[in-house]
Amino acid sequence: MVALRFGVGVPGGTAVAVLLLVAFVGVVWLSLRELRFEPNRRRSLVLGALRIATAAAALLLAVQPTWTGDRIQRAEGDLALLVDRSRSMSIAAEGTTRAGRAARLLGRWRDGSGADAVGTHAFGTSVRPASLAELAEGFDAADDETRIGAAVGELLRADVQGDLGAVVVLSDGAESARGPSAEELARHGVKVHAVAIGADEELCDDAIAEVQADAVAFVRQQARVRVVVRSLGGGGRPIPVSLRLGEQLVREVVAEPDEHGEAAVEIPFVPDDLGRAVYRLSIPVAPEDAVPENNDRAFLVRVTRDKLRVLLVAGRPSWDERFLRAFLKRDPAIDLISFFILRTAADLTMASPDELALIPFPTDELFSEHLGSFDLVLFQNFEYGPYQMGGYLPRIRDYVRRGGGFAMIGGDLGFASGGYAETPLAQILPVEMPPTGTPETRAVVPGSFTPRLASEMARHPLLELLPDPAANAQAWASLAPLEGANVITGLRGDGRALLSHPTERATDGSPMPVLAVGTEGRGRALALATDTSWRWGITTGGRTGDPSAYERFWDRALRWLTRDPSLEPARITTDRERYGPGARVRVEALLRDERYEPLADRAVRIALVDDTGQEIASSDVRVDGQGGAHAVLDGPGHPGGYRAVARALDADEPLAEEGFVVEAGGDELADPRPRPELLRRLAEATGGTFHDDPDEAPALADFDSTRTRSLGTTRIAPFASWWAFLIVVALFAAEWMVRRTWGRR
Amino acid sequence: MRLLPFAAMRRKISKRAAPYKERTVAATAVTLAAGLALAAAAPGAARALGETTLLDVRRVVYDGAHAPRPTAPRRIAWEVRKRTSIETRLRPGEARLDDPSIFESPLLYWTGDRGFPPLSDAEVAGLRRFVEFGGFVLIDDASPDGAGFDESVRRELGRAFPAAALTRLAPTHTVFRSFYLLDRPVGRVLGPDHLLGIERGGRAAVVYSRHDLGGAWARDNLGTWEHTVTPGGESQRESAIRLGVNLVMYALCLDYKDDQVHAPFIMRRRGGIP
Repeated sequence: MVALRFGVGVPGGTAVAVLLLVAFVGVVWLSLRELRFEPNRRRSLVLGALRIATAAAALLLAVQPTWTGDRIQRAEGDLALLVDRSRSMSIAAEGTTRAGRAARLLGRWRDGSGADAVGTHAFGTSVRPASLAELAEGFDAADDETRIGAAVGELLRADVQGDLGAVVVLSDGAESARGPSAEELARHGVKVHAVAIGADEELCDDAIAEVQADAVAFVRQQARVRVVVRSLGGGGRPIPVSLRLGEQLVREVVAEPDEHGEAAVEIPFVPDDLGRAVYRLSIPVAPEDAVPENNDRAFLVRVTRDKLRVLLVAGRPSWDERFLRAFLKRDPAIDLISFFILRTAADLTMASPDELALIPFPTDELFSEHLGSFDLVLFQNFEYGPYQMGGYLPRIRDYVRRGGGFAMIGGDLGFASGGYAETPLAQILPVEMPPTGTPETRAVVPGSFTPRLASEMARHPLLELLPDPAANAQAWASLAPLEGANVITGLRGDGRALLSHPTERATDGSPMPVLAVGTEGRGRALALATDTSWRWGITTGGRTGDPSAYERFWDRALRWLTRDPSLEPARITTDRERYGPGARVRVEALLRDERYEPLADRAVRIALVDDTGQEIASSDVRVDGQGGAHAVLDGPGHPGGYRAVARALDADEPLAEEGFVVEAGGDELADPRPRPELLRRLAEATGGTFHDDPDEAPALADFDSTRTRSLGTTRIAPFASWWAFLIVVALFAAEWMVRRTWGRR
Repeated sequence: MRLLPFAAMRRKISKRAAPYKERTVAATAVTLAAGLALAAAAPGAARALGETTLLDVRRVVYDGAHAPRPTAPRRIAWEVRKRTSIETRLRPGEARLDDPSIFESPLLYWTGDRGFPPLSDAEVAGLRRFVEFGGFVLIDDASPDGAGFDESVRRELGRAFPAAALTRLAPTHTVFRSFYLLDRPVGRVLGPDHLLGIERGGRAAVVYSRHDLGGAWARDNLGTWEHTVTPGGESQRESAIRLGVNLVMYALCLDYKDDQVHAPFIMRRRGGIP
């Protein structure tokens, strides 16, 4: 079937066409007036007809009338039935749940005509096949989400043969997760008929409708959570809102609902401890409350420090110290505490202590009292011996094992020259060094050199000055050479060399590491066996015009040492942060080793665990070639804080973990009101019908399942051809010849 | 300042790499005596991984000028090494501003005693990039009574940093307490009671003195001071040397002495003045 629409092809459209028409009519009229004086009536008629025909043909050629239309095919299609099984369907009114009312209608459809030809599906969080007969017997509404648009869209995508003619949606319309819009769905040409359940309900319910809290808060700094409370049928009475951490009441505020029954309150709180914290919000449950589950909500906060606390200890002022301090001080996200040894006992200041701006090196205060407050400790060309620090080295070692970051930067006072071999710090550094007592001539390597990148560690973030591998290699090659290095005899433990000396060798004959990284316990350590990395800044800038490599390197080094999530080799995410009891939890993981190489083809376990470490659900999966792994697990059945973890099957320590919470109500029950208007809009946009009373809904066989399919567009432009042009020319020529023959001009 | 063990002192003097360990009292006493005697004479050889890790008081060479205080850079380098933990190069280098090697050593000492023709565009660009990339320039007017060098140097700074004017460094600036506690700048002459500077990225990237610091520092190979210091004599010379030490310390430590932890100590020693 084709419905044609008329148009014109002349530039300027209808307005120009009308002007042309007027002009041509004027020309014809003037010509006909001239023919009044022709004595021969036959000639007058012939000339008039020729003029009218020529003008009309010219007008049509100029205007180019066009007819376009869509070729539409209508055919009888299949009918699909979508039944809402989300938890909002379990809400009861007047003694019957919405699911119960739906089951009553399904029973009528089951017993009526057309039931056999209908493909039945249940939907909520996902769409899955169902039995109309079984649903008609009554069903549990347990899905954690209502995705109406997504469910219809999934059915349409699955209809690759184009057999589907209409979908009947049976739902309360309480959509909790947005999907494709009604207009997007209408493009498929499949009608959506909707039957609203509970459209006439008068709910009495107090609910925490909305919770907005920052995912990250700073320890001992005030944070806020914004809470929207909705009271349906409550008469606007004040509602107290309580915020709890565990069982401890943090704060209580009173919400005053407006004329629409809504009130928004902000509740301040101050997290005291670092790490994950699950906060709970609650409002009282009235006796007539239809949905008590939505009176409690929970949210997860990751409590961190507002700034990275870095301790920089330098054995003497130097260019290496100067550029590192300048970089650290410039970063507003870093709280820098630095101590430099400005003079030693051998220096002769020629001044009394009161004439000097020097202060004692507060070793005990730093390494005994406040060590745990630092995220990162940097020893830069620093020897510990002269400052009676031997007793503090075990503390630093233990600090790293507990999760702290440590970096030793070389120089003539670092590594073996600083006497660190056989000390507790040697147990956390990723490198081995010559033993104590080694002459300085054998503890350092003088001379200029360009370090070599370890190809097997090319994916490590510390080496990533630029994202593109080829450009990155070029960037490293363009850096100014380093000057001198501390002798490193090899790697220790899981230490990995990122940069190595081009000519010097470790004890085992491998290239001598210059930059190495490793882990010790829960902490990380870095060894940079030179004090000239500053040359990657100003000196490189003088050669290439770009001094930024130095700061890019140290920025990534600091973030890696302090376990910035964006630089972690392994990451895991859940599809949501909040779930209802028993919801399906989709877990995605990116798993790479410490070299940042994918753990390809390794068997790993993805599990959900509670706060005590008890496993709730798990799945053993194999990692793909890119390091990806995923699992869909049955979520915990009880409200609380949980973690999704990924661990190698042969290891106890998790590769990655992420927190989530389970709420009794969650987003699904946050707004339990039926929303028939949403279903009505969907039906109207797709050409379907809407029914707000299930008892009045038609039989399945009476739903129109005619499928409308577009076969393309038809366009007719009869005067867009050479023939039309030739006809006009021929008419002009004929008129001219006749006029000349009959003696007219 | 914490009193350091004798072993560390001996190492500073002997400049040998020896790990810290317990010493006997007798050995320590002998070492101390020998060390003090040696230290009074010379600061000893530097310890470093490479030449570029040593601080070089590198003199700027430019057309139309000669070196008015040729021994001054060496002398202040010697004093810095003797008085502080900074390792310096005792034979300072020199370079033109258009020489790429200026980026190998981020401190430049620019002195003169007369006017000079305009720098080339390449020299001006080199000076600008040196400062932008993190370098520190100490400018010392060796003839503060005349206007020649002052006018020329202001002209060239205006070309290199048209948007950044020379401004006075406040008496509370870190330069005056980066190592010694100083009240005001002095050199061979008493000069103005302030230093000038150009701020870049929160630091004084260029410091300009009109006190002839080099005149107070200069000393010949026999140990004779080359210029008389007026009006304060030798105590003024000592202050000039201390200012030089402070400037070098500032170049390397920036605003380290502005850290909160230093404040109570410094205020107590200055009678409440920061």
